[in-house]
Amino acid sequence: MATARLRHLTYSYAGSHAPALDDVTVELGEGLTLVTGPSGGGKSTLLRLLNGLVPHFHGGRVAGAAESAGLDVIGTPTRVLARHVGFVFQDPELQAVYDTVEREVAFGLENTSVPAAAMAGRIDDALHQAGAHHLAHRRLSTLSGGERQRVALASVLAMQPRTVVLDEPTSQLDPGGAALVLDATLRFKESGRSVVIAEHRLERLALAAEQVVRVEHGRVEHVTAGVAQKRIEVSRGGAAGGEAWTLDGVTAGFAGCPVLDRVNLAGRQGEVLVLCGPNGGGKTTLLRTIAGVLKPLAGTVQRRPGRIAYLPQNPTALLHRPTVRSEVELTLEWSGENERADAILSELGLLDVAGRYPRDLSSGERQRAALAAVLAGRPRLVLLDEPTRGMDLGARTALTALVARLRDQGASVVLATHDEWLRESLADRTVQVCNGGVTG
Amino acid sequence: MNARAVAAWSAVCMVIVLSTSNPAYKAIVLVAALTALVSAVGLRRMRRLLAGVGFIAVFDVLLNFVSAHLGRTVLFALPDGVPAIGGPYTLEALAFGVSGGMTIAAAVLAAAPFSLLTQPQDVMDALPAALSRTGTAIAASLNLVPSISRSFASVSEAQRLRGWRPRGPRSWAEVLVPVVLTSAESSIQLAESMEARGFASGPRTAFQKPRLARSDWVVVAASAAALGGFIGARAAGWAGDWFAYPSLTLPSLDVRPLAACLLLFAPVVTWRRRG
Repeated sequence: MATARLRHLTYSYAGSHAPALDDVTVELGEGLTLVTGPSGGGKSTLLRLLNGLVPHFHGGRVAGAAESAGLDVIGTPTRVLARHVGFVFQDPELQAVYDTVEREVAFGLENTSVPAAAMAGRIDDALHQAGAHHLAHRRLSTLSGGERQRVALASVLAMQPRTVVLDEPTSQLDPGGAALVLDATLRFKESGRSVVIAEHRLERLALAAEQVVRVEHGRVEHVTAGVAQKRIEVSRGGAAGGEAWTLDGVTAGFAGCPVLDRVNLAGRQGEVLVLCGPNGGGKTTLLRTIAGVLKPLAGTVQRRPGRIAYLPQNPTALLHRPTVRSEVELTLEWSGENERADAILSELGLLDVAGRYPRDLSSGERQRAALAAVLAGRPRLVLLDEPTRGMDLGARTALTALVARLRDQGASVVLATHDEWLRESLADRTVQVCNGGVTG
Repeated sequence: MNARAVAAWSAVCMVIVLSTSNPAYKAIVLVAALTALVSAVGLRRMRRLLAGVGFIAVFDVLLNFVSAHLGRTVLFALPDGVPAIGGPYTLEALAFGVSGGMTIAAAVLAAAPFSLLTQPQDVMDALPAALSRTGTAIAASLNLVPSISRSFASVSEAQRLRGWRPRGPRSWAEVLVPVVLTSAESSIQLAESMEARGFASGPRTAFQKPRLARSDWVVVAASAAALGGFIGARAAGWAGDWFAYPSLTLPSLDVRPLAACLLLFAPVVTWRRRG
């Protein structure tokens, strides 16, 4: 039996004229289906259609027919489809209802009237399947992103769905956390049930996928997986210049519990310095200290004068203007720079959406809009915290070219990233930030 | 710890403290609440709460002392011509303020076990079935609070580096609007996640039905006895009221309402080392 069948399915979000899915006719077979395609192409809409969030939760206009797990999607509410099609979202922090792991996994079972006596066994099985059994009695607030995402997967598996849909479940995770989530996903597929997943880390999934579909401009088609994500060759503009910033014996973090301990480090103009290391190792603290938003507990921080561009971990939270273009113009106005907003919008492939409300864009487009808003003009110091989270290959390529240009114009760039692809493409120098120290 | 037992004890503390003007009984309830909390969670976890309660109580005392120029025992006086604070400062106004401060402190400490000793899901489980969906929605929304405060810190930092500077209340829109929008989006994503796991699809079952342990029954029984005893004593006229004005008098104390109030110390034994 097919996992899902769509027949001439057209769907538009409320208030939108352009369809997010346009006359789609496709059949997704059993096993693992990998959903690929550029940001804003319609991947998330297709996935949400499979469990009825589209159209039942999001509203809008729908035409054609859709069937998922043998049920008519348009005629069946999401809360009923939920018993057959589980859904794991992108952000592990925004899908938890309770504060303890066992209770969180029980949430779906409570909603679907599973008798209390049957719950413990199902919770236990689901946590085992998701590789999260050892977390059963932990509080969610104490878990890492990867652990939280495995708990989210367990809370879906406990409902024993026929199909599990995952929307870029590893985009917020470091490589270790992502590998554990993908392992758990593949184990579920090997248990004979269906998985539909949109994911940018294609390498491992493509080998196991029964089928790959590409979603672009609202159209869906079966394709052969192409997963090579080669390093971009970035031309060098010249040798690095003088020191742009220095940390001299810096201790930073919380009094009594420093995150960085007596760090000595410097960055040069026209250089890309990459910070690597595990989550919680101190990369973000180091970036904030260099930026000057976190005062050191000891030691000194020196910076050459000039504008600082700082991209925080969730940069889309900054967006609040009516259009993408006005977000960029706001930065240029605040920094007193006379540059056209369209220059950076073109560089990041955003001209087509420059007049749209940034929060209406897809997650990848929003990430690029935030980058444009932060990096517009000519910053002298560029600090980027995990800039490629949730980005597709096209967006990462555009970002790489933009960072290379800023470096060649003399900016000192510091990147905190787990993304090996980005590091290989851009790094002039790499340091490891771990246990409060910096090595490299 | 069962949230229903906690609720019963908290409610009785509040009823007693709000139903009498006698500071002796208020003081006993205040000490009972304080002792129960300290025995359950320790002083260290209560530092912020105690500082907040202390601040509010002292403010209430001073407010009454400064603004109520009633009573016969004048401690000192400021000239009547001094706006707002001029006039006699009396022992009666000070005593009445202390009584009011104790009322506030006792009420806050009586409600504190909900946040210090129970999880949102414990409170939700304790709700009647008819309110379980509402309770779930409240518990879920409480989980968003930490992310809102993180979002505020992160957005204000990033906006400053983008060039924003706080120049009057209107300029804060550049920080507050993105935080509010992000919070609204987070709420929608959480609602999506709940819907995708069958929320509101029918009658709910409960993973852990709240059961009253023997120690919980002890607290419930002691609270019920305290309530019955105190209301009975009030009805019989044994728990007399207290009036600070016009002349300060000592509050009356009767062994029967006193015994009822002492029953509120039951959690000191049953909640020990639970927090």
